[in-house]
Amino acid sequence: MMKLTKPMLLLLALFCCLATTKAQQITGKVTAANDGTPLIAVNITVKETNTGTVSDTDGTFQIAATPGNTLVFSYIGFKTIEITLGNEKNLNVTLEEDAQSLDEIVVTALGIQRESKKLGYSVTSVNTDELVQNRTTNVIESLEGRVAGLNITPPAAGAGSSMQIRLRGQAAFAGANNAPLIVINGLPIDQGARGVNGLGTPRDLGDNLSNINPDDIESMTVLKGATAAAIYGARAANGAIIITTKSGRKNQGIGVEYTSSYTSQEALNFFDFQTEFGQGTGGKRPTSGANAATTGQFAWGERLDGVPTPIFDGSLQPYSANPNRLFDFLQTGTNFTNTIAFSGGTEKGSFRASFSNTDAEGITPTNEYKRNIINLGINQNITQKLKLQFNLNYTNERQINPPQIGTQGPGAVNFFTRMATSIPLSAFKNSAVAANGTETLTSGFQGTLLNPYYAIAVGQKYENERDRFLGTATLRYDITDWLYAQGRYNYDYSLSFTESNDPGGIGTSVPTNADGTFKGGYNLSEGKGTDVNADFLIGGGKEFGIFSVDANFGGNTWRVKNNSFNQSSSNFIVRDLYSIGNGSVRNQSYGFSQFRVNSLYGWAEFGFKSMLYVNFTGRNDWFSVLNPDDNSEFYQSVSGSFIFSELMKGMDWLSYGKLRASWAEVGSSNGVNPYDGILTYGIAQNQFNGQTTASISGASAPNQFLRPFSVEEKEIGLEMRLFGNRILLDVSAFDKVTTDQILDVQLSNTSGYNTSKRNLGSLKNSGVEFLVEVTPIQTPNFTWTSSWNNAFLSTEVLSVGEGIKDVIVLNWGATGNEFIGQLRYVVGLPMNQVYARTYLRDDQGRILLTDQGRLIASPDYVSYGSSIPKHTGGWTNSLSYKNLSVGIHLDYKLGGTVISSTALNALRQGHSKASLVGRRVGETGVVFPGFYRSSGEPNTKAVDPAAFYADYRNNQMGDIVTFKSDFVKLRNISLSYNLTDLLRKTRALGFVKGLSLTAACRNVAILYKDIPDLDPEAIQSSGDFRSGYENTSLPTTRNYQITLNAKF
Amino acid sequence: MIMKNIKIFFLISATLLVLGGCDEDFVDINTNPYAVIDIDPALLFVGAQRTHLGGWETEHTIAQQFVNPHNSGATLGPNFNADIDNFNNGKWDGSYPGSIKNMVQAIALLDGNTERGNLLSILRIWKAQVFMGLVDTHADVPYFDAGQAYLKGSEYFYPKYDDDAAIYADLEKELKEAVAALNPNGDYVAADLFYGDRGSIKTGTAAAQVDKWKKLGNSLLLRLGMRYSKVDPTKAASIVSAAFNGGVMKSNDDNAYVKYDGTLFTNGANGGLVNNNPYFYYAAEPFVDQLKATNDPRTPFLVATFANPAAPLGDPNPNTNIADQFGVPVGVINTDLAKAPFRGAKGGGYNYSQMNVNVVASLTAPDFWVTYSEVSLLLAEAAQRGWIPGGEAAAKQYYEDGIRADIKRYALYPKATTVSDADIATFLASPGVAYNAADALKLINTQLWIVYIRNGTQAWANFRRSGFPALKPNLFNNLLNGGFVRRLSYPDYELAQNRENYLNAVKAIGGKDDLITRVFWDKE
Repeated sequence: MMKLTKPMLLLLALFCCLATTKAQQITGKVTAANDGTPLIAVNITVKETNTGTVSDTDGTFQIAATPGNTLVFSYIGFKTIEITLGNEKNLNVTLEEDAQSLDEIVVTALGIQRESKKLGYSVTSVNTDELVQNRTTNVIESLEGRVAGLNITPPAAGAGSSMQIRLRGQAAFAGANNAPLIVINGLPIDQGARGVNGLGTPRDLGDNLSNINPDDIESMTVLKGATAAAIYGARAANGAIIITTKSGRKNQGIGVEYTSSYTSQEALNFFDFQTEFGQGTGGKRPTSGANAATTGQFAWGERLDGVPTPIFDGSLQPYSANPNRLFDFLQTGTNFTNTIAFSGGTEKGSFRASFSNTDAEGITPTNEYKRNIINLGINQNITQKLKLQFNLNYTNERQINPPQIGTQGPGAVNFFTRMATSIPLSAFKNSAVAANGTETLTSGFQGTLLNPYYAIAVGQKYENERDRFLGTATLRYDITDWLYAQGRYNYDYSLSFTESNDPGGIGTSVPTNADGTFKGGYNLSEGKGTDVNADFLIGGGKEFGIFSVDANFGGNTWRVKNNSFNQSSSNFIVRDLYSIGNGSVRNQSYGFSQFRVNSLYGWAEFGFKSMLYVNFTGRNDWFSVLNPDDNSEFYQSVSGSFIFSELMKGMDWLSYGKLRASWAEVGSSNGVNPYDGILTYGIAQNQFNGQTTASISGASAPNQFLRPFSVEEKEIGLEMRLFGNRILLDVSAFDKVTTDQILDVQLSNTSGYNTSKRNLGSLKNSGVEFLVEVTPIQTPNFTWTSSWNNAFLSTEVLSVGEGIKDVIVLNWGATGNEFIGQLRYVVGLPMNQVYARTYLRDDQGRILLTDQGRLIASPDYVSYGSSIPKHTGGWTNSLSYKNLSVGIHLDYKLGGTVISSTALNALRQGHSKASLVGRRVGETGVVFPGFYRSSGEPNTKAVDPAAFYADYRNNQMGDIVTFKSDFVKLRNISLSYNLTDLLRKTRALGFVKGLSLTAACRNVAILYKDIPDLDPEAIQSSGDFRSGYENTSLPTTRNYQITLNAKF
Repeated sequence: MIMKNIKIFFLISATLLVLGGCDEDFVDINTNPYAVIDIDPALLFVGAQRTHLGGWETEHTIAQQFVNPHNSGATLGPNFNADIDNFNNGKWDGSYPGSIKNMVQAIALLDGNTERGNLLSILRIWKAQVFMGLVDTHADVPYFDAGQAYLKGSEYFYPKYDDDAAIYADLEKELKEAVAALNPNGDYVAADLFYGDRGSIKTGTAAAQVDKWKKLGNSLLLRLGMRYSKVDPTKAASIVSAAFNGGVMKSNDDNAYVKYDGTLFTNGANGGLVNNNPYFYYAAEPFVDQLKATNDPRTPFLVATFANPAAPLGDPNPNTNIADQFGVPVGVINTDLAKAPFRGAKGGGYNYSQMNVNVVASLTAPDFWVTYSEVSLLLAEAAQRGWIPGGEAAAKQYYEDGIRADIKRYALYPKATTVSDADIATFLASPGVAYNAADALKLINTQLWIVYIRNGTQAWANFRRSGFPALKPNLFNNLLNGGFVRRLSYPDYELAQNRENYLNAVKAIGGKDDLITRVFWDKE
């Protein structure tokens, strides 16, 4: 793909030579239409450029522009107008008053553009400048803390990782798709987060939003509630994000835009581990290399004294601290992204074509992410009444060696944070490979603590390449001036290919298997998916005096088909040769699934005097995955808006006021999968001594009577613009109840099955969101806008099934690679309760101990709180002075709970400062302040710290490893300078229509946090099963970015 | 023209969609053309046939044959008398959602099938074997309602626990009925991993296979009957006599076992000793001392000292001299082993014997469920107690036959040398081994203890039943009131997921879900 850029650059050069039109000075005056008074400080910009000026105290202005350019005049309280320049050099403009600013158009569900005032629910149009000024590899990450109620949680999982996106909370229990529906040019897609979920591959493989180049986005609308998305029926449970990509503008001529951005990422070190004690057990340092090789994970040795001491490779190394090993191992991450776009427009149509290339390196060595995106948008009026819109987005992504995280197994973070500080990094690097080619034993946790230098030395590889093709073709026919019909065909094709090897020497000292073949494995897998949506829509609107009616009727068929091949081989004949043919054991599998949903839907809107609007929607879905006797569901909504400022026209302070209210009942069939209701058998991959064997597939007892779950949401809102739009206020309150949720009910495994899917769960999310935007200063040269958004979210589990009070969603402590805690849903408590055992206490609350002074756990697990933050929000400040603009963004999440595996391991292995209690000067062990269970006497016995702290793990006690996940961050500072004016002064560069430079810094500082040694955002998973559980994520990064944007 | 086409387009789409509401294709679409939805129940049986035998780290540690002296969090196990899910749940998790689920399903698939009576009998016998192990491990467990979540629906999601004695009574009935129903002229189960076409011992005909399963069923009945020896000797005598008269195993050719090829399948339990942290694992002192005291010819198969305990597989020819073997004392923590009076560190571990990972603990070692040696030794006790005919003479014969067969059994293990008949005779005549009536129960059950190596369920159960060998209790932290682990507690998640039934079961077994409550047959 890189090769493509060369011809493009040539083409670019050609355009430069052809562009000979010169800019000239236009002068003029702006006055008010009603009384002719000059308007001061009217904002005048040359469209599609960053050139701009403001009118003087007498309304006059001066601006450089070329014939054909469009000048945009905007002024608070007046209607914005656009004027395309001919050859005139003098321009007098009148602006009409528009006290209500009602004309804001937003793109809503089904891609229908509607006036904001008519909407009875909350929508937020994203300022697309924020997407391109604070760039992130995944476009949605830059919205973190910017939209009230939109909670973005980026896992620290390497370049190109997935995001957790939740609108108004987690609508359904873990296992459902709780991300909003993403609609790109009318094509609905799932976010499809391929995050780390503790089991399976411990590598984050991104999500479908990474298919979108921020430079291609024309508009992005966040439909927060169920009502807004109701017309999407069974896919509307989590709201929707509607993205429209650019397709050029009419009457525009040919233009070229080039954007280049470079980001460097520095890993942030929050670790504050102890540097007083070195490797060893029982207070003794290693006595020999062989002894050291089995105790590397423990820092229960002696006080560090610098004396040469054996380490795992047999060498003698100073017995002193090496606290920065992880960060010396990590590297500076980089991201270099270039986008070039060509656009043009005639009277009859327009087009835009872009190509973007991203070349990123993660902070772990060998991690790379490469992406190419081609985007094409065409708008064409075939006849006066028939319009064609065509959009195509092709993405090719490659993830190479995404870091292994979220498991107490492979991965650099797990290794370096759990090895005694007295072992130097150079030893891990230089002695990684043992004489027989296997990984040198470094610790007693062979197989769990894996030296990443070994994986690098033997070329461990994991590569995933994905191609994704999103195509949309829409034909719209205007039957009369008030009635249209539209047909649309959406095609979504994806192909994913993964190749990986498991070097045989990792985590073992023996290179061979029991049969004499060499250890190791090689895996190939390929998955293909097609997702077709075909729909039609007939609609129109008419006014009858003071009444207006809009109505639409449509239908959709959604057809999904996925298949996948997997092939793996092991028990190699030739050592370290990774190929299918080299394996004496080969396994293969083929996966297949398909489903279909047919739908009919319609909506009608009635308006009265441009003041009162009521909107009804209805949709019926038919599902192939449901029992054929009962496979249809009906979804509906009603909403209304009341523009009360229409009745208060005399009040100067109120420019606009709207009350809105809505109710919707939508659903989600997510969780009902194809073939769910049928018990199937699996024939074992390999015959046992020649005999075929079989077993029941899966651990879930099939249920053929599953239904889609339903979501009922009520919402009210108030929107006001005050004092000439200087203050904007938008408040929403919502109450969302999800019922009949499909829950993997945990069975007693004595029933033969671990789970069964049932329509049982019920959950409530309610909250208040607000946005206040204030422009305290607005002068011709200087503007300051400050906005604060906040969402308060309250959740409650209403039911987890008849007669059941709580459900263990996941017992982290029993998954094998996670060591403590449980995620539970408990009736009457907020969602996502973090559970663990606690100290056993007597009636007086005193902590009870054994006669040996050891901990005793409570028999029952107790709640440590919900993992879901109650408050999320952000504070954004934009300042602009002439051509310079500055953005400062703070954001926060408060009120969540997290249990930290890192803290637990650091404690029980003697690495954290907390583990010093019991071995400080004068101490001979941990004398825990508790009382003997047997006698009630206070404890005086000292316990060996290693044994004492291990009991927290053995007993599953969360007391000293549970924290608040709260943070307040200075998220972003950006500085943007528009150089267009400077260039204009240089004749030779006159062909440049716009040039700007932006510098930004992301994750500037953490202003407040609770969890020690970590960034509270260093979480592992974008899914819901590990919510509230921290386990070896990558360190987060501070990003420095510089972006150049040029238009010709 | 365009106008017309467009109209047609919309008309067609609309029609298609309206029809779509009752899309005939939906049933086809929601049928997975690649899924196996019918299965031969024999394949389910053989998929479930290799049932849980008890782990090294739990049952063999309680029976003081094996030790993990490391207490580094996740490994705090029976050597420290700890009551921890990690070590308690092996049989439970290895049975209910695995072998029990599949066998219950296979039995249900055979409902009404008169052609496959032998397969049904085999399934009943083998299912009884699994539940016997569960009762022996936990006392009351779900039995009558277990494994039926799919077959019977949500009322069976949370099975009640059944009384251990009542389960045993039903197991006795099951074994007797199933054995009686075996028909030499009936169906042949070719898939049988023990005695089928590709079984460890091939039979080839229904008659020959039925003969083997009859012996296996009666041998399990013998095992079941012997369990009553403390609590109800009369009942024990009657069941044992019935089993004996029905015909039990007669030679090593009747053994129920499977072999592992080391490529596609390996001995999983043994994998645990070599794949990760091999230096955690040692032979226990009482076990090694017994072997040394009698100069047992099986010693080199069982234990060895390796050049570096952290990498035993790297030493294909370890020291197997009997005199050089030392077991790790029970209830001692690894950090103490490094210091006097213990034998100290060696390589990455400690200077003690480990299980011989080239033989008994090899990745290709076979797994034995029921052996002729076990049967013969149990018969020796039965004869000595007068429950079967023959008196002391027969007891002596059964005893010696049992030991002899066990030594010969090692021919199936990798790297096991042959012990000559003369050496066996010497061993049988040596002090501490030679049969004498006064010490008969001690001798017999001490030998059973050795025979049961790698069948931890039996090693531990028979120790509790017989009280032999006379081991010293592990007094670590004084957590067991000076006794032994008498049962394993239920999985913690049953408290949350099957709370009511769990609490009722705890009440029924005496009020405490701990390690010292006794199974019904384990009378003090």
